[in-house]
Amino acid sequence: MTDKPINAPTATLREAHGGGSATYVEQPNRLAGGLVDHGRALNFDFDGRVLQGHPGDTLASALLANGVRLVGRSFKYHRPRGIFTAGSEEPNALVELRRGAHQEPNTRATTVELFDGLEAGSQNYRGSLGFDLLAANDLFSSFLSAGFYYKTFMWPQAFWEKVYEPLIRNSAGLGRLSGEPDPDSYDKGFLHCDVLVIGAGPAGLSAALAAGRAGARVILADEDFRPGGRLNAETLEVDGMSGADWAERAVAELAAMDNVRLMTRTTVHGVFDHGIFGALERCTDHLPTSGGKPRQVLWRLYTKRAVLCAGATERPIAFGDNDRPGVMLAGAVRAYANRWAVTPGQRVAVFTNNDDGWRTAADLSARGVEVTAVVDPRNTQPRAEIPGAAIRMGDAVAGTRGRKGLKQIELASGGTIPADCLAVSGGWNPNVHLTCHQRGRPEWREDIAAFVPGKDLPVGLTVAGAANGSLSLAAALLDGETRAREAVESLGFKPAKHTPAKAEDEAVELTPFWHVKKGRARAWVDHQNDVTVKDVKLAHQEGFRAVEHLKRYTTLGMATDQGKTANVLGLAIMAECTGKSIPETGTTIFRPPYSPVPIGAFAGRSRGKDFRPFRLTPSHHWAEEQGAVFVETGAWLRAQWFPRPGETHWRQSVDREVEMTRGSVGICDVTTLGKVDIQGRDAAEFLNKVYINGFAKLAVGKTRYGLMLREDGMAMDDGTTARLGETHYVMTTTTANAGGVFRHLEFCRQCLWPDLDVHLISTTDGWAQYAVAGPNSRNLLRKIVDPEFDISNEAFPFMACAEITVCGGTPARLFRISFSGELAYEIAVPARYGDSMIRALMAAGEEFDVVPYGTEALGVMRIEKGHAAGNELTGQISAQNLGMGRMVSKKKDCIGNKLSERPEMNREDGLRMVGFRPVDRSRSLTAGAHFIPRGAVASMETDEGWMTSVAYSPELGHSIGLGFIKRGSERMGDIVRAVDLVGDSDIEVEIVSPHFVDPEGERLRV
Amino acid sequence: MSDLTLTPAPALGGYRERFEGVQLEELPNLAIVSIATPRGGEAEFAAAIEKAFGVAAPKPGHSSLSKDGRTRLVGMAPDQTFAVFTHDGPDARQVIDGALDGAGYTTDQTDVWVSLRIDGPRAHTALERICPIDLHPDAFPEGRAARTVMEHLGTIVLRDGADSFLLLSAHSSAESFLHAVETSIRNVT
Amino acid sequence: MIINHPLLGPRDAAEFVYLGDASLIDRPDWEDPDAAEKYYEYLYLRDNPAGLHRELWFHEQGDRSWLVVTRNTLTHEITNVELARDVAKAQGRSR
Repeated sequence: MTDKPINAPTATLREAHGGGSATYVEQPNRLAGGLVDHGRALNFDFDGRVLQGHPGDTLASALLANGVRLVGRSFKYHRPRGIFTAGSEEPNALVELRRGAHQEPNTRATTVELFDGLEAGSQNYRGSLGFDLLAANDLFSSFLSAGFYYKTFMWPQAFWEKVYEPLIRNSAGLGRLSGEPDPDSYDKGFLHCDVLVIGAGPAGLSAALAAGRAGARVILADEDFRPGGRLNAETLEVDGMSGADWAERAVAELAAMDNVRLMTRTTVHGVFDHGIFGALERCTDHLPTSGGKPRQVLWRLYTKRAVLCAGATERPIAFGDNDRPGVMLAGAVRAYANRWAVTPGQRVAVFTNNDDGWRTAADLSARGVEVTAVVDPRNTQPRAEIPGAAIRMGDAVAGTRGRKGLKQIELASGGTIPADCLAVSGGWNPNVHLTCHQRGRPEWREDIAAFVPGKDLPVGLTVAGAANGSLSLAAALLDGETRAREAVESLGFKPAKHTPAKAEDEAVELTPFWHVKKGRARAWVDHQNDVTVKDVKLAHQEGFRAVEHLKRYTTLGMATDQGKTANVLGLAIMAECTGKSIPETGTTIFRPPYSPVPIGAFAGRSRGKDFRPFRLTPSHHWAEEQGAVFVETGAWLRAQWFPRPGETHWRQSVDREVEMTRGSVGICDVTTLGKVDIQGRDAAEFLNKVYINGFAKLAVGKTRYGLMLREDGMAMDDGTTARLGETHYVMTTTTANAGGVFRHLEFCRQCLWPDLDVHLISTTDGWAQYAVAGPNSRNLLRKIVDPEFDISNEAFPFMACAEITVCGGTPARLFRISFSGELAYEIAVPARYGDSMIRALMAAGEEFDVVPYGTEALGVMRIEKGHAAGNELTGQISAQNLGMGRMVSKKKDCIGNKLSERPEMNREDGLRMVGFRPVDRSRSLTAGAHFIPRGAVASMETDEGWMTSVAYSPELGHSIGLGFIKRGSERMGDIVRAVDLVGDSDIEVEIVSPHFVDPEGERLRV
Repeated sequence: MSDLTLTPAPALGGYRERFEGVQLEELPNLAIVSIATPRGGEAEFAAAIEKAFGVAAPKPGHSSLSKDGRTRLVGMAPDQTFAVFTHDGPDARQVIDGALDGAGYTTDQTDVWVSLRIDGPRAHTALERICPIDLHPDAFPEGRAARTVMEHLGTIVLRDGADSFLLLSAHSSAESFLHAVETSIRNVT
Repeated sequence: MIINHPLLGPRDAAEFVYLGDASLIDRPDWEDPDAAEKYYEYLYLRDNPAGLHRELWFHEQGDRSWLVVTRNTLTHEITNVELARDVAKAQGRSR
């Protein structure tokens, strides 16, 4: 039946979906019972066929119920593949889920919760899933064996470009991206608990109950949508009831506890330092649409203790053609029958080296499924009576038959047995993954032939149940309880008295058996990356024997499933080749994430405009009204210029703003400058120590420019500091360095001079501050400043400052400082008045034709005045370079003064900041150009410095620049070349004073 | 002098919104004044605080309500306390200066911050999406305060009721902060 | 990572900014006859221990305290956290 096309209904999914009560479609492999709601049908679409399942199904269980066995093609050889497992370890059944922009490739069908209207498709084929054109790769498999990718590099280049690259690019990759932006939203969050329990199987539920009953704050996280783990998949009983019923009771008890948070659909994917865990909660993946809510939440869990109850993953046995659809893990076959009421086949054979595999035969047989054979390589007594089944002890499965799905198994002893499903068990591997995230190495346990967590566990984490190698149900229940009790006791809680849950200690005996040597067909180890037994042997033969080499050479365990079903098997085969034991051969270390986490979840809300917050000045919305063009400076948005109607080029706007400011008056928002309130009896001494120039004698009511160095003598920041009172100063910093300067000042205060009475607090956001510049600035301000404050040149000279009131009593601060070189002020009001203030200033300035100017005009005017700014203060520039070497006081201690004395920083031919103008005034200068002597070849040897800032000066009518050049201050009038090899320009420039406009500073003082 | 007058505008225009199980509102009249303890003047400072507010200055991370219930003192750092109180007008610093009579260095912080109150049964759940601090009532009872970071933005969070939190974040990024809090609420309601 | 702040309790390392070796507290005397050499050593010469390391962290998104954190560079285990101001004073720094 499996290869026959299903009698697909002719209706489309939408018709079936939207058409009220859907017609019942036969599910040939559906059994009775289980944990699905047989009373409700869910329609879904797989590769264009409408099928039905039930609430409680996964996509995988629903596909199996409908007899769909071929669900995809393998990565490299495009071999037909079916469903292999029943959980997140699935290597084969990767599908594309949903449509359009919502399409998500590489989704494991075994973890997708079925919902009405679900649309899924198989992936990784060309043509049709049934007849994949790329399956030809399989014929050339001898060229694509282990290390083929590396070997291609050893061939002639033409081979790479013409043969290999197109071949690899065409066939590589699994599912397809939609190519559209992800329409879903994602979120993050932070949770705290005393005890985190990872996994809600028998050990996890038992642990959560013990911790919860003791009163600890507990988070119980499980990747499944239904808590219970293997309890839901087995027929074993707990406390005299079915495992699933016990799990349901345990969950109900936990849900009633205020101190317990039960998180289903949540995968704990990583362990980080100091008890921090990462977890991904899938909030709406099981719903047709997200309804506008975040699809997934990436949680950061802060825990005091954690109990890992992640269970175990079954591993296969390798034999010829063991990847044929219908070959599955035995525990998964049992889970489909018991939990999902689905038999993966009508005639099931079992191949197991352990007692657990026998339970698959027994459970299926009890459910009326025909079991055709149990093959067990152990030469012992059969573990159960399976009616009608051929019992082959001491035998093995050596091969399979069937085109796109299993029809027969071949026995090592010869002969075939019919089977459309083969349940394979090679034993169980404890899920030790999270114990390795901090370099913990698992240890080999001979009795279960598996790795268990080593002794070097992440701090605060213990392991319980199958994850710790306690493979029986009774052991898991007890283990979970014990570990949780220990955890809560260590935190000072008293465990509650209660009777622990009881279960039978079922048999779990096993004899290691890794792969069947008989048979010529390829035996698959890593199904997702198409790694065979032969590949592992080849790696050994070619010398890639260390386990990390094996992994990289063959790509074993490097697919999206991280080799959950493959790694130990691969290792065992390598151990066979080397003749060493498995622990001697090694183990691979697992890294986060445990299972794939979408990039969208890591991004969270940080997309588009929400990538980071914006800082806006109080005049921002006013500036928007004026049509300002904004520029990002750090997080701030600042007005760059204010275009007027008719202006088509930014230079027109900027030139006008400069001309109108220098001609009458302009206003610029300088709120973004950092402001630090500095108070204390020792504030002056403190300033004296952090600035190179003296501040001890600054009078109350005065402002001073200060330059701050780093300890290595390089300029850190500059700005003005005003003395508002005996013990009260206000420092300004550059916009970009506000945070860093504050941190530095706190370092000086707390770590270097801890007994100074000085206190710092940022007030950057508290004040809306405007530069009012130009010959009419005082006239404008007279209309704003309350009349009792005299701001005449005599009463309020250059560099004065005062706390005043404006507009009839609103408190303000006025500073007579100038960055533009004009008669200028900066006036600050509490931020709440900022919007009102800009409007008042503009209204008051109307009669003077006031102009708002942006950061570009600000930049032009500061270049015209030769003020250094961010372009010059690069962190590699000293006070000497800036021409401020003499400001470094030798009479006092200050940060950076000692190392400023180093000879290298005081070379006579050191760089000096000077001005430049083009010899041909019509030429434009470019920042970044290097200065080369006339007639010299432009090279590192002839390089004399570089241009840092350039602007067109409307006042001078030509391009001007600032830059650093050797001995610059002694070379006024020299002609050099400004060479810009990137921009391909080479022009002659004259070295001039950096003070292009009003060099005597007369305008400042009128 | 002209007839120009200045009108104060709250950072978020007096925002106020109800969601299912959460209310979020801007507190435009919340005054904040920082008080620094002078080195060597700790005893005088403590006495002045006691005299002015009837309570001791709280330790960092804690707060206490003045005897008259009007001012909440919040311990911000070893030598820094915030006085938070309802006050209309730009002279909050003078109010505290008057009360302390020079025993501490004061700085008006009112305009440095935007103040939001989030309250309701879902408030804690909403804050879980952006707040790294453990806000469980056992770990963060009423009166506790913390300065931390939410969605890249420095934020002070103070529990001022069983289901009520005061959030202070930078004035300049008020719109981004509001967006972050609103998104958190929408994501859980 | 979690830093157990001596005043505020455990806080996520995301709230902090790292500076470097706590020996940066030991700024030499500027009037020392060997000041040039001592400053050079102070600023540029560091130990790089595999094991316990005392280092400066700033609680930028917190109380703005500088902390001296003793961290094992091999395991990230943090064994001690002190206020840098207390450390500085204990080492004789004053004004």
